[in-house]
Amino acid sequence: MSTTPNPAASINPGSPPDLAARAELSEIDASTRNPAVFFLCSSMLWLLAGTALALIASFKLHTPHFLGDLEWLTFGRARAAHLNTIIYGWSLNASFAVAFWLTARLSRSILRHAGILMAAGVFWNTGVTAGVLGILAGDSTSIEWLEFPAYAAPMLLVAYALIGAWAVITFRFGKSGHIYVSQWYILAALFWFPWLYSIAQIMLLLAPAHGTVQALVNWWFAHNLPGLWFTPIGLGAIYYFLPKVLGKPIHSYHLALLGFWSFAIFSGWTGAARLAGGPVPAWVVTAGIAAGFMMLLPVIVTAINYHLTMTGGFGALKFSPTLRFIVFGAFNYTLAGLIGSLQADRAISETLHFTHFTIAHAHQGMYAFFTMVMFGSIYYILPRLLLREWPSAMLIRVHFWTTATGATLYILALSIGGAIQGWMINALDAQGGLLHPQVLDIVKATLPWLFSRSIAGMLVTIGHLAFAVNFCWMLFRDPAAPRHTAPTLFHDPAETEEPS
Amino acid sequence: MESLFPIIAVTTGAAITATAVYALRWSSKHGQLRDFEKNAASIFDEKEPVGHPTDFFPQKRRKPKTTTPAT
Repeated sequence: MSTTPNPAASINPGSPPDLAARAELSEIDASTRNPAVFFLCSSMLWLLAGTALALIASFKLHTPHFLGDLEWLTFGRARAAHLNTIIYGWSLNASFAVAFWLTARLSRSILRHAGILMAAGVFWNTGVTAGVLGILAGDSTSIEWLEFPAYAAPMLLVAYALIGAWAVITFRFGKSGHIYVSQWYILAALFWFPWLYSIAQIMLLLAPAHGTVQALVNWWFAHNLPGLWFTPIGLGAIYYFLPKVLGKPIHSYHLALLGFWSFAIFSGWTGAARLAGGPVPAWVVTAGIAAGFMMLLPVIVTAINYHLTMTGGFGALKFSPTLRFIVFGAFNYTLAGLIGSLQADRAISETLHFTHFTIAHAHQGMYAFFTMVMFGSIYYILPRLLLREWPSAMLIRVHFWTTATGATLYILALSIGGAIQGWMINALDAQGGLLHPQVLDIVKATLPWLFSRSIAGMLVTIGHLAFAVNFCWMLFRDPAAPRHTAPTLFHDPAETEEPS
Repeated sequence: MESLFPIIAVTTGAAITATAVYALRWSSKHGQLRDFEKNAASIFDEKEPVGHPTDFFPQKRRKPKTTTPAT
Protein backbone atom coordinates (compact mmCIF):
# COMPACT_ATOMS: atom_id res chain seq x y z
CA MET A 1 0.00 0.00 0.00
CA SER A 2 1.41 3.36 -0.94
CA THR A 3 0.02 6.80 -0.42
CA THR A 4 0.31 10.00 -2.37
CA PRO A 5 2.67 12.53 -0.81
CA ASN A 6 0.31 15.46 -0.50
CA PRO A 7 -3.12 16.73 -1.60
CA ALA A 8 -1.61 18.88 -4.37
CA ALA A 9 -0.09 15.79 -5.98
CA SER A 10 -3.41 13.98 -5.67
CA ILE A 11 -5.27 16.75 -7.47
CA ASN A 12 -2.59 17.29 -10.12
CA PRO A 13 -3.96 15.74 -13.34
CA GLY A 14 -0.40 14.99 -14.39
CA SER A 15 0.30 12.60 -11.50
CA PRO A 16 -0.44 8.92 -12.18
CA PRO A 17 -3.68 7.81 -10.50
CA ASP A 18 -2.61 4.19 -10.03
CA LEU A 19 -0.19 4.69 -7.18
CA ALA A 20 -2.01 2.35 -4.83
CA ALA A 21 -3.10 -1.21 -5.18
CA ARG A 22 -6.67 -2.31 -4.59
CA ALA A 23 -7.08 -2.22 -0.80
CA GLU A 24 -8.73 -4.73 1.53
CA LEU A 25 -12.07 -3.64 3.04
CA SER A 26 -10.73 -3.78 6.60
CA GLU A 27 -7.79 -1.63 5.50
CA ILE A 28 -10.17 0.91 3.94
CA ASP A 29 -12.40 0.95 7.02
CA ALA A 30 -9.38 1.61 9.25
CA SER A 31 -8.31 4.52 7.04
CA THR A 32 -11.72 6.18 7.40
CA ARG A 33 -11.81 5.80 11.19
CA ASN A 34 -10.85 9.26 12.46
CA PRO A 35 -12.91 11.48 10.14
CA ALA A 36 -15.88 9.10 10.12
CA VAL A 37 -15.99 8.86 13.92
CA PHE A 38 -15.64 12.64 14.17
CA PHE A 39 -18.57 13.27 11.82
CA LEU A 40 -20.68 10.57 13.48
CA CYS A 41 -20.03 11.94 16.99
CA SER A 42 -20.95 15.41 15.77
CA SER A 43 -24.11 14.12 14.15
CA MET A 44 -25.08 12.30 17.35
CA LEU A 45 -24.73 15.46 19.45
CA TRP A 46 -26.78 17.48 16.94
CA LEU A 47 -29.41 14.75 16.87
CA LEU A 48 -29.91 15.06 20.63
CA ALA A 49 -29.99 18.88 20.46
CA GLY A 50 -32.41 18.81 17.52
CA THR A 51 -34.67 16.31 19.30
CA ALA A 52 -34.88 18.54 22.39
CA LEU A 53 -35.74 21.55 20.23
CA ALA A 54 -38.33 19.49 18.34
CA LEU A 55 -40.06 18.51 21.56
CA ILE A 56 -40.11 22.13 22.75
CA ALA A 57 -41.58 23.33 19.44
CA SER A 58 -44.14 20.51 19.42
CA PHE A 59 -45.29 21.19 23.01
CA LYS A 60 -45.66 24.90 22.27
CA LEU A 61 -48.22 24.19 19.56
CA HIS A 62 -50.75 22.71 22.00
CA THR A 63 -49.46 24.28 25.26
CA PRO A 64 -48.37 27.78 24.17
CA HIS A 65 -47.26 28.94 27.64
CA PHE A 66 -44.69 26.11 27.86
CA LEU A 67 -41.30 27.86 28.36
CA GLY A 68 -43.15 31.02 27.37
CA ASP A 69 -40.84 33.32 29.35
CA LEU A 70 -37.72 32.45 27.37
CA GLU A 71 -37.45 34.72 24.36
CA TRP A 72 -34.74 32.61 22.75
CA LEU A 73 -37.09 29.63 22.80
CA THR A 74 -40.20 31.18 21.29
CA PHE A 75 -41.91 28.89 18.79
CA GLY A 76 -40.49 30.79 15.81
CA ARG A 77 -36.93 30.34 17.05
CA ALA A 78 -37.23 26.83 18.51
CA ARG A 79 -38.87 25.48 15.36
CA ALA A 80 -36.29 27.03 13.01
CA ALA A 81 -33.44 25.95 15.31
CA HIS A 82 -34.86 22.39 15.35
CA LEU A 83 -35.11 22.23 11.57
CA ASN A 84 -31.62 23.56 10.94
CA THR A 85 -30.03 21.54 13.73
CA ILE A 86 -31.49 18.37 12.29
CA ILE A 87 -30.76 19.23 8.64
CA TYR A 88 -27.28 20.73 8.86
CA GLY A 89 -26.20 19.21 12.18
CA TRP A 90 -27.52 15.65 12.30
CA SER A 91 -28.47 14.80 8.72
CA LEU A 92 -25.59 16.37 6.83
CA ASN A 93 -22.92 15.23 9.31
CA ALA A 94 -24.30 11.69 9.19
CA SER A 95 -24.65 11.76 5.41
CA PHE A 96 -21.07 13.02 5.00
CA ALA A 97 -19.77 10.16 7.16
CA VAL A 98 -21.83 7.54 5.33
CA ALA A 99 -21.04 9.04 1.92
CA PHE A 100 -17.28 9.09 2.33
CA TRP A 101 -17.18 5.69 4.03
CA LEU A 102 -19.14 4.26 1.10
CA THR A 103 -17.07 6.20 -1.43
CA ALA A 104 -13.83 4.84 0.00
CA ARG A 105 -15.18 1.28 0.11
CA LEU A 106 -16.71 1.35 -3.35
CA SER A 107 -13.58 2.93 -4.81
CA ARG A 108 -11.61 0.11 -3.17
CA SER A 109 -9.14 2.75 -2.16
CA ILE A 110 -7.88 3.75 1.26
CA LEU A 111 -8.98 7.16 2.47
CA ARG A 112 -6.27 9.66 1.57
CA HIS A 113 -5.73 13.00 3.19
CA ALA A 114 -7.96 12.43 6.21
CA GLY A 115 -6.80 15.86 7.39
CA ILE A 116 -8.91 17.48 4.65
CA LEU A 117 -12.02 15.81 6.02
CA MET A 118 -11.12 16.62 9.62
CA ALA A 119 -10.68 20.30 8.69
CA ALA A 120 -13.98 20.16 6.80
CA GLY A 121 -15.63 18.67 9.88
CA VAL A 122 -14.33 21.46 12.11
CA PHE A 123 -15.46 24.17 9.66
CA TRP A 124 -18.84 22.54 9.15
CA ASN A 125 -19.66 22.12 12.83
CA THR A 126 -18.40 25.60 13.69
CA GLY A 127 -20.71 26.96 10.98
CA VAL A 128 -23.66 24.95 12.27
CA THR A 129 -22.99 26.08 15.85
CA ALA A 130 -22.82 29.74 14.77
CA GLY A 131 -25.99 29.28 12.73
CA VAL A 132 -28.04 27.61 15.47
CA LEU A 133 -26.93 30.11 18.12
CA GLY A 134 -27.72 32.90 15.65
CA ILE A 135 -31.27 31.58 15.15
CA LEU A 136 -31.83 31.28 18.91
CA ALA A 137 -30.48 34.83 19.35
CA GLY A 138 -33.03 36.13 16.85
CA ASP A 139 -30.83 36.42 13.75
CA SER A 140 -32.84 33.97 11.64
CA THR A 141 -33.22 34.90 7.97
CA SER A 142 -36.83 33.57 8.08
CA ILE A 143 -36.22 31.80 4.77
CA GLU A 144 -37.36 28.21 5.25
CA TRP A 145 -34.55 25.61 5.28
CA LEU A 146 -32.06 28.48 5.08
CA GLU A 147 -32.65 30.20 8.41
CA PHE A 148 -28.96 30.30 9.35
CA PRO A 149 -27.77 33.91 9.44
CA ALA A 150 -25.51 34.92 6.56
CA TYR A 151 -22.38 34.75 8.76
CA ALA A 152 -22.69 30.97 9.09
CA ALA A 153 -22.73 30.26 5.35
CA PRO A 154 -19.05 30.91 4.47
CA MET A 155 -17.88 28.28 6.97
CA LEU A 156 -20.31 25.75 5.53
CA LEU A 157 -19.19 26.50 1.98
CA VAL A 158 -15.49 26.16 2.90
CA ALA A 159 -16.24 22.85 4.61
CA TYR A 160 -18.15 21.62 1.60
CA ALA A 161 -15.41 22.69 -0.81
CA LEU A 162 -12.95 20.57 1.20
CA ILE A 163 -15.29 17.56 1.13
CA GLY A 164 -15.82 18.01 -2.62
CA ALA A 165 -12.03 18.15 -3.22
CA TRP A 166 -11.58 15.00 -1.15
CA ALA A 167 -14.31 13.20 -3.11
CA VAL A 168 -12.62 14.05 -6.42
CA ILE A 169 -9.29 12.68 -5.13
CA THR A 170 -10.89 9.46 -3.88
CA PHE A 171 -12.79 8.94 -7.11
CA ARG A 172 -9.62 9.54 -9.12
CA PHE A 173 -7.64 6.95 -7.18
CA GLY A 174 -10.46 4.42 -7.21
CA LYS A 175 -9.48 0.83 -7.86
CA SER A 176 -12.88 -0.75 -8.22
CA GLY A 177 -12.98 -0.85 -12.03
CA HIS A 178 -16.71 -0.35 -11.93
CA ILE A 179 -18.79 2.50 -10.56
CA TYR A 180 -21.45 0.81 -8.47
CA VAL A 181 -24.97 2.31 -8.42
CA SER A 182 -24.48 3.73 -4.90
CA GLN A 183 -21.56 5.77 -6.23
CA TRP A 184 -23.73 7.24 -8.99
CA TYR A 185 -26.11 8.56 -6.38
CA ILE A 186 -23.36 9.83 -4.06
CA LEU A 187 -21.36 11.49 -6.84
CA ALA A 188 -24.49 13.13 -8.21
CA ALA A 189 -25.42 14.40 -4.73
CA LEU A 190 -21.90 15.75 -4.17
CA PHE A 191 -22.24 17.56 -7.47
CA TRP A 192 -25.75 18.92 -6.82
CA PHE A 193 -25.29 20.23 -3.28
CA PRO A 194 -22.88 23.13 -3.99
CA TRP A 195 -25.09 24.17 -6.92
CA LEU A 196 -28.20 24.25 -4.71
CA TYR A 197 -26.59 25.90 -1.71
CA SER A 198 -24.60 28.56 -3.56
CA ILE A 199 -27.45 29.61 -5.89
CA ALA A 200 -29.83 29.82 -2.91
CA GLN A 201 -27.30 31.86 -0.94
CA ILE A 202 -26.78 34.28 -3.83
CA MET A 203 -30.43 34.70 -4.84
CA LEU A 204 -31.92 34.74 -1.34
CA LEU A 205 -29.31 36.30 0.93
CA LEU A 206 -26.45 38.02 -0.90
CA ALA A 207 -28.47 39.72 -3.65
CA PRO A 208 -32.08 38.72 -2.93
CA ALA A 209 -34.36 38.31 -5.92
CA HIS A 210 -37.47 40.45 -5.74
CA GLY A 211 -41.10 39.49 -5.40
CA THR A 212 -42.38 35.99 -6.00
CA VAL A 213 -39.11 34.91 -7.59
CA GLN A 214 -37.81 34.76 -4.03
CA ALA A 215 -40.51 32.24 -3.12
CA LEU A 216 -39.69 30.23 -6.23
CA VAL A 217 -35.99 30.11 -5.39
CA ASN A 218 -36.82 29.28 -1.76
CA TRP A 219 -38.97 26.30 -2.75
CA TRP A 220 -36.56 25.23 -5.43
CA PHE A 221 -33.93 25.02 -2.67
CA ALA A 222 -36.15 23.71 0.15
CA HIS A 223 -37.53 20.91 -2.02
CA ASN A 224 -34.26 20.07 -3.73
CA LEU A 225 -32.08 19.85 -0.62
CA PRO A 226 -33.97 16.74 0.51
CA GLY A 227 -34.60 15.75 -3.11
CA LEU A 228 -31.12 16.14 -4.56
CA TRP A 229 -28.93 15.59 -1.49
CA PHE A 230 -30.61 13.49 1.20
CA THR A 231 -32.59 11.26 -1.15
CA PRO A 232 -29.63 10.21 -3.35
CA ILE A 233 -27.44 9.63 -0.29
CA GLY A 234 -30.22 7.57 1.31
CA LEU A 235 -30.90 5.58 -1.88
CA GLY A 236 -27.18 5.06 -2.43
CA ALA A 237 -26.86 3.68 1.11
CA ILE A 238 -29.82 1.33 0.57
CA TYR A 239 -28.37 0.09 -2.73
CA TYR A 240 -25.21 -0.84 -0.86
CA PHE A 241 -26.43 -2.13 2.50
CA LEU A 242 -29.48 -4.07 1.33
CA PRO A 243 -27.57 -6.50 -0.93
CA LYS A 244 -24.48 -6.44 1.29
CA VAL A 245 -26.34 -7.45 4.46
CA LEU A 246 -28.40 -10.08 2.64
CA GLY A 247 -25.39 -11.41 0.77
CA LYS A 248 -27.13 -11.28 -2.63
CA PRO A 249 -26.75 -8.77 -5.47
CA ILE A 250 -29.41 -6.19 -6.18
CA HIS A 251 -32.25 -7.81 -8.16
CA SER A 252 -31.91 -5.75 -11.35
CA TYR A 253 -29.11 -3.42 -12.27
CA HIS A 254 -31.14 -2.33 -15.31
CA LEU A 255 -33.91 -1.07 -13.03
CA ALA A 256 -31.30 0.66 -10.86
CA LEU A 257 -30.04 2.53 -13.92
CA LEU A 258 -33.56 3.49 -15.00
CA GLY A 259 -34.37 4.62 -11.46
CA PHE A 260 -31.24 6.75 -11.19
CA TRP A 261 -31.54 8.60 -14.50
CA SER A 262 -35.29 9.20 -14.21
CA PHE A 263 -34.68 10.48 -10.67
CA ALA A 264 -31.88 12.76 -11.89
CA ILE A 265 -34.01 14.19 -14.69
CA PHE A 266 -37.28 14.84 -12.82
CA SER A 267 -36.41 15.42 -9.16
CA GLY A 268 -34.98 18.93 -9.55
CA TRP A 269 -38.20 20.27 -11.05
CA THR A 270 -40.65 19.18 -8.39
CA GLY A 271 -40.29 22.08 -5.92
CA ALA A 272 -42.37 24.48 -8.05
CA ALA A 273 -45.45 22.26 -7.58
CA ARG A 274 -45.49 23.36 -3.93
CA LEU A 275 -46.40 26.88 -5.12
CA ALA A 276 -49.63 25.79 -6.85
CA GLY A 277 -52.21 28.52 -6.39
CA GLY A 278 -49.53 31.10 -5.67
CA PRO A 279 -48.81 34.23 -7.72
CA VAL A 280 -46.09 32.65 -9.86
CA PRO A 281 -46.12 31.94 -13.61
CA ALA A 282 -48.54 29.09 -14.27
CA TRP A 283 -46.13 27.24 -16.57
CA VAL A 284 -43.56 26.96 -13.77
CA VAL A 285 -46.09 25.31 -11.48
CA THR A 286 -47.37 23.09 -14.30
CA ALA A 287 -43.81 21.96 -15.07
CA GLY A 288 -43.39 21.18 -11.36
CA ILE A 289 -46.64 19.19 -11.29
CA ALA A 290 -45.64 17.23 -14.42
CA ALA A 291 -42.25 16.45 -12.87
CA GLY A 292 -43.99 15.49 -9.60
CA PHE A 293 -46.03 12.87 -11.44
CA MET A 294 -43.06 11.70 -13.48
CA MET A 295 -41.32 11.03 -10.15
CA LEU A 296 -43.67 8.03 -9.88
CA LEU A 297 -41.33 6.31 -12.35
CA PRO A 298 -38.12 6.31 -10.24
CA VAL A 299 -40.08 5.76 -7.02
CA ILE A 300 -41.92 2.69 -8.34
CA VAL A 301 -38.91 1.30 -10.18
CA THR A 302 -36.73 1.64 -7.08
CA ALA A 303 -39.42 0.14 -4.85
CA ILE A 304 -39.78 -2.89 -7.16
CA ASN A 305 -36.02 -3.36 -7.22
CA TYR A 306 -35.71 -3.22 -3.42
CA HIS A 307 -38.69 -5.51 -2.91
CA LEU A 308 -37.45 -8.12 -5.38
CA THR A 309 -34.01 -8.00 -3.75
CA MET A 310 -35.60 -8.61 -0.34
CA THR A 311 -37.82 -11.44 -1.62
CA GLY A 312 -36.71 -14.61 0.08
CA GLY A 313 -34.65 -12.65 2.58
CA PHE A 314 -37.28 -11.17 4.88
CA GLY A 315 -36.22 -13.64 7.58
CA ALA A 316 -32.95 -11.71 7.81
CA LEU A 317 -34.87 -8.86 9.44
CA LYS A 318 -34.83 -10.94 12.60
CA PHE A 319 -31.07 -10.95 12.94
CA SER A 320 -29.81 -7.77 11.28
CA PRO A 321 -30.25 -4.37 12.96
CA THR A 322 -29.02 -2.60 9.83
CA LEU A 323 -31.59 -4.34 7.66
CA ARG A 324 -34.47 -3.43 9.97
CA PHE A 325 -33.73 0.28 9.72
CA ILE A 326 -32.86 0.15 6.02
CA VAL A 327 -36.03 -1.72 5.04
CA PHE A 328 -38.19 0.60 7.15
CA GLY A 329 -36.49 3.55 5.44
CA ALA A 330 -36.89 2.09 1.95
CA PHE A 331 -40.59 1.39 2.55
CA ASN A 332 -41.10 4.98 3.69
CA TYR A 333 -39.20 6.31 0.66
CA THR A 334 -41.78 4.61 -1.53
CA LEU A 335 -44.70 5.95 0.51
CA ALA A 336 -43.26 9.47 0.71
CA GLY A 337 -42.60 9.43 -3.04
CA LEU A 338 -46.14 8.31 -3.87
CA ILE A 339 -47.70 10.83 -1.49
CA GLY A 340 -45.39 13.56 -2.81
CA SER A 341 -46.57 12.88 -6.36
CA LEU A 342 -50.22 13.01 -5.25
CA GLN A 343 -49.58 16.28 -3.41
CA ALA A 344 -48.36 17.79 -6.66
CA ASP A 345 -51.93 17.57 -8.01
CA ARG A 346 -53.61 21.00 -7.95
CA ALA A 347 -56.92 19.78 -6.48
CA ILE A 348 -55.23 17.79 -3.71
CA SER A 349 -52.77 20.60 -3.05
CA GLU A 350 -55.68 23.03 -2.67
CA THR A 351 -56.81 21.11 0.40
CA LEU A 352 -53.55 19.90 1.90
CA HIS A 353 -51.21 22.81 1.29
CA PHE A 354 -50.50 25.09 4.28
CA THR A 355 -51.68 22.35 6.66
CA HIS A 356 -49.94 19.91 9.00
CA PHE A 357 -50.09 17.35 6.18
CA THR A 358 -47.05 19.05 4.62
CA ILE A 359 -45.16 18.64 7.91
CA ALA A 360 -46.09 14.95 7.99
CA HIS A 361 -44.79 14.53 4.44
CA ALA A 362 -41.51 16.31 5.24
CA HIS A 363 -40.98 14.07 8.29
CA GLN A 364 -41.77 10.96 6.31
CA GLY A 365 -39.03 11.90 3.88
CA MET A 366 -36.46 13.27 6.28
CA TYR A 367 -37.08 11.00 9.26
CA ALA A 368 -38.91 7.80 8.36
CA PHE A 369 -36.84 7.43 5.19
CA PHE A 370 -33.55 9.27 5.46
CA THR A 371 -32.83 9.25 9.20
CA MET A 372 -33.79 5.59 9.56
CA VAL A 373 -31.48 4.69 6.67
CA MET A 374 -28.69 6.64 8.37
CA PHE A 375 -29.32 4.76 11.64
CA GLY A 376 -29.10 1.47 9.76
CA SER A 377 -25.91 2.57 8.04
CA ILE A 378 -24.32 3.65 11.33
CA TYR A 379 -25.16 0.26 12.89
CA TYR A 380 -23.15 -1.31 10.08
CA ILE A 381 -20.31 1.18 9.85
CA LEU A 382 -19.36 1.96 13.45
CA PRO A 383 -18.36 -1.58 14.51
CA ARG A 384 -16.11 -1.75 11.47
CA LEU A 385 -14.48 1.53 12.40
CA LEU A 386 -13.95 0.77 16.08
CA LEU A 387 -13.46 -3.00 15.69
CA ARG A 388 -15.98 -3.53 18.46
CA GLU A 389 -19.50 -4.83 18.49
CA TRP A 390 -22.45 -2.80 19.69
CA PRO A 391 -22.58 -3.31 23.47
CA SER A 392 -26.32 -3.90 23.78
CA ALA A 393 -28.69 -5.68 21.42
CA MET A 394 -31.56 -4.66 23.70
CA LEU A 395 -30.81 -0.94 23.20
CA ILE A 396 -30.78 -1.46 19.43
CA ARG A 397 -34.24 -3.05 19.63
CA VAL A 398 -35.52 -0.23 21.85
CA HIS A 399 -34.11 2.25 19.34
CA PHE A 400 -35.76 0.57 16.39
CA TRP A 401 -39.20 -0.03 17.86
CA THR A 402 -39.56 3.38 19.52
CA THR A 403 -38.40 5.32 16.46
CA ALA A 404 -40.38 3.17 14.01
CA THR A 405 -43.54 3.41 16.13
CA GLY A 406 -42.97 7.09 16.90
CA ALA A 407 -42.37 8.02 13.26
CA THR A 408 -45.43 6.08 12.10
CA LEU A 409 -47.63 7.64 14.77
CA TYR A 410 -46.23 11.09 13.94
CA ILE A 411 -46.94 10.75 10.22
CA LEU A 412 -50.42 9.28 10.71
CA ALA A 413 -51.43 11.88 13.31
CA LEU A 414 -50.27 14.90 11.33
CA SER A 415 -51.57 13.53 8.02
CA ILE A 416 -55.06 13.03 9.48
CA GLY A 417 -54.92 16.29 11.44
CA GLY A 418 -53.66 18.13 8.36
CA ALA A 419 -56.39 16.69 6.13
CA ILE A 420 -59.07 17.71 8.67
CA GLN A 421 -57.47 21.16 8.88
CA GLY A 422 -57.52 21.50 5.07
CA TRP A 423 -61.12 20.39 4.76
CA MET A 424 -62.22 22.81 7.46
CA ILE A 425 -60.35 25.73 5.88
CA ASN A 426 -61.97 25.06 2.49
CA ALA A 427 -65.45 23.92 3.58
CA LEU A 428 -68.30 26.11 2.32
CA ASP A 429 -71.91 26.30 3.47
CA ALA A 430 -74.97 26.26 1.20
CA GLN A 431 -74.66 29.99 0.54
CA GLY A 432 -71.04 29.69 -0.49
CA GLY A 433 -69.71 31.25 2.69
CA LEU A 434 -67.03 29.73 4.89
CA LEU A 435 -68.38 26.94 7.06
CA HIS A 436 -65.70 27.61 9.69
CA PRO A 437 -65.06 31.36 9.59
CA GLN A 438 -63.34 31.30 13.01
CA VAL A 439 -59.73 30.19 12.60
CA LEU A 440 -59.67 29.25 16.28
CA ASP A 441 -62.26 26.50 15.64
CA ILE A 442 -59.92 24.97 13.07
CA VAL A 443 -56.95 25.28 15.41
CA LYS A 444 -58.91 23.54 18.20
CA ALA A 445 -59.83 20.70 15.84
CA THR A 446 -56.15 19.99 15.27
CA LEU A 447 -55.26 19.87 18.99
CA PRO A 448 -55.71 16.09 19.48
CA TRP A 449 -53.43 15.46 16.52
CA LEU A 450 -50.85 17.88 17.85
CA PHE A 451 -50.93 16.08 21.21
CA SER A 452 -50.44 12.80 19.36
CA ARG A 453 -47.44 14.33 17.61
CA SER A 454 -45.88 15.20 20.98
CA ILE A 455 -46.42 11.64 22.22
CA ALA A 456 -44.80 10.36 19.02
CA GLY A 457 -41.96 12.82 19.62
CA MET A 458 -41.42 11.43 23.12
CA LEU A 459 -41.25 7.89 21.74
CA VAL A 460 -38.68 9.01 19.18
CA THR A 461 -36.73 10.77 21.95
CA ILE A 462 -36.55 7.52 23.94
CA GLY A 463 -35.17 5.83 20.85
CA HIS A 464 -32.56 8.53 20.32
CA LEU A 465 -31.46 8.28 23.96
CA ALA A 466 -31.12 4.50 23.62
CA PHE A 467 -29.03 5.05 20.48
CA ALA A 468 -26.89 7.70 22.21
CA VAL A 469 -26.25 5.45 25.23
CA ASN A 470 -25.26 2.53 23.01
CA PHE A 471 -23.12 4.83 20.85
CA CYS A 472 -21.22 6.36 23.80
CA TRP A 473 -20.94 3.00 25.55
CA MET A 474 -19.35 1.56 22.44
CA LEU A 475 -17.08 4.54 21.94
CA PHE A 476 -15.80 4.74 25.50
CA ARG A 477 -15.90 1.11 26.59
CA ASP A 478 -12.81 -0.45 28.06
CA PRO A 479 -10.14 -0.46 25.36
CA ALA A 480 -8.89 -3.72 26.86
CA ALA A 481 -12.18 -5.41 25.95
CA PRO A 482 -11.75 -8.12 23.31
CA ARG A 483 -11.66 -6.80 19.77
CA HIS A 484 -12.60 -8.59 16.63
CA THR A 485 -9.86 -8.96 14.13
CA ALA A 486 -12.09 -9.40 11.11
CA PRO A 487 -14.35 -6.39 11.28
CA THR A 488 -16.16 -7.14 8.07
CA LEU A 489 -17.23 -10.57 9.24
CA PHE A 490 -18.73 -10.42 12.67
CA HIS A 491 -20.66 -13.61 12.89
CA ASP A 492 -21.27 -16.67 10.88
CA PRO A 493 -25.00 -17.07 10.22
CA ALA A 494 -24.80 -20.66 11.37
CA GLU A 495 -23.71 -19.42 14.77
CA THR A 496 -26.54 -16.96 15.07
CA GLU A 497 -29.35 -17.86 17.36
CA GLU A 498 -32.88 -16.52 16.97
CA PRO A 499 -33.28 -13.20 18.77
CA SER A 500 -35.88 -13.23 21.51
CA MET B 1 -27.28 42.42 -9.87
CA GLU B 2 -30.70 41.18 -10.89
CA SER B 3 -29.83 41.54 -14.56
CA LEU B 4 -27.07 39.00 -13.94
CA PHE B 5 -29.53 36.34 -12.78
CA PRO B 6 -30.49 35.14 -16.29
CA ILE B 7 -26.80 34.95 -17.21
CA ILE B 8 -26.00 33.00 -14.02
CA ALA B 9 -29.00 30.71 -14.57
CA VAL B 10 -28.20 30.00 -18.23
CA THR B 11 -24.48 29.49 -17.55
CA THR B 12 -25.14 27.17 -14.62
CA GLY B 13 -27.78 25.26 -16.57
CA ALA B 14 -25.46 24.87 -19.56
CA ALA B 15 -22.57 23.76 -17.35
CA ILE B 16 -24.70 21.17 -15.57
CA THR B 17 -26.12 19.82 -18.84
CA ALA B 18 -22.61 19.65 -20.32
CA THR B 19 -21.38 17.76 -17.25
CA ALA B 20 -24.26 15.29 -17.49
CA VAL B 21 -23.54 14.67 -21.19
CA TYR B 22 -19.83 14.27 -20.42
CA ALA B 23 -20.60 11.85 -17.56
CA LEU B 24 -22.79 9.75 -19.86
CA ARG B 25 -20.11 9.70 -22.59
CA TRP B 26 -17.42 8.84 -20.03
CA SER B 27 -19.49 5.96 -18.62
CA SER B 28 -20.18 4.58 -22.06
CA LYS B 29 -16.52 4.83 -23.08
CA HIS B 30 -15.29 3.17 -19.89
CA GLY B 31 -17.64 0.20 -20.03
CA GLN B 32 -19.86 1.33 -17.16
CA LEU B 33 -23.00 0.63 -19.20
CA ARG B 34 -22.11 -2.96 -20.11
CA ASP B 35 -22.59 -6.27 -18.32
CA PHE B 36 -24.92 -4.95 -15.63
CA GLU B 37 -25.53 -8.25 -13.88
CA LYS B 38 -21.81 -8.77 -13.31
CA ASN B 39 -21.49 -5.21 -12.06
CA ALA B 40 -24.30 -5.74 -9.55
CA ALA B 41 -22.00 -8.23 -7.81
CA SER B 42 -19.05 -5.82 -7.69
CA ILE B 43 -19.63 -5.08 -3.98
CA PHE B 44 -18.83 -8.70 -3.13
CA ASP B 45 -15.37 -10.21 -3.06
CA GLU B 46 -13.62 -13.38 -1.93
CA LYS B 47 -13.78 -12.32 1.73
CA GLU B 48 -17.41 -11.25 1.62
CA PRO B 49 -18.82 -13.41 -1.17
CA VAL B 50 -22.36 -13.66 -2.50
CA GLY B 51 -24.43 -15.81 -0.15
CA HIS B 52 -22.70 -14.53 2.95
CA PRO B 53 -24.79 -12.14 5.11
CA THR B 54 -22.69 -9.54 6.92
CA ASP B 55 -24.76 -8.03 9.72
CA PHE B 56 -26.14 -9.51 12.92
CA PHE B 57 -27.32 -8.47 16.35
CA PRO B 58 -24.41 -8.52 18.81
CA GLN B 59 -23.94 -11.21 21.45
CA LYS B 60 -26.07 -13.78 19.73
CA ARG B 61 -23.71 -16.66 19.30
CA ARG B 62 -25.11 -20.11 19.67
CA LYS B 63 -23.58 -22.06 22.53
CA PRO B 64 -21.56 -25.04 21.34
CA LYS B 65 -23.45 -28.32 21.67
CA THR B 66 -22.28 -30.56 24.52
CA THR B 67 -22.04 -34.23 23.74
CA THR B 68 -23.01 -36.81 26.34
CA PRO B 69 -20.96 -40.00 26.55
CA ALA B 70 -22.72 -43.14 25.42
CA THR B 71 -23.81 -45.44 28.19
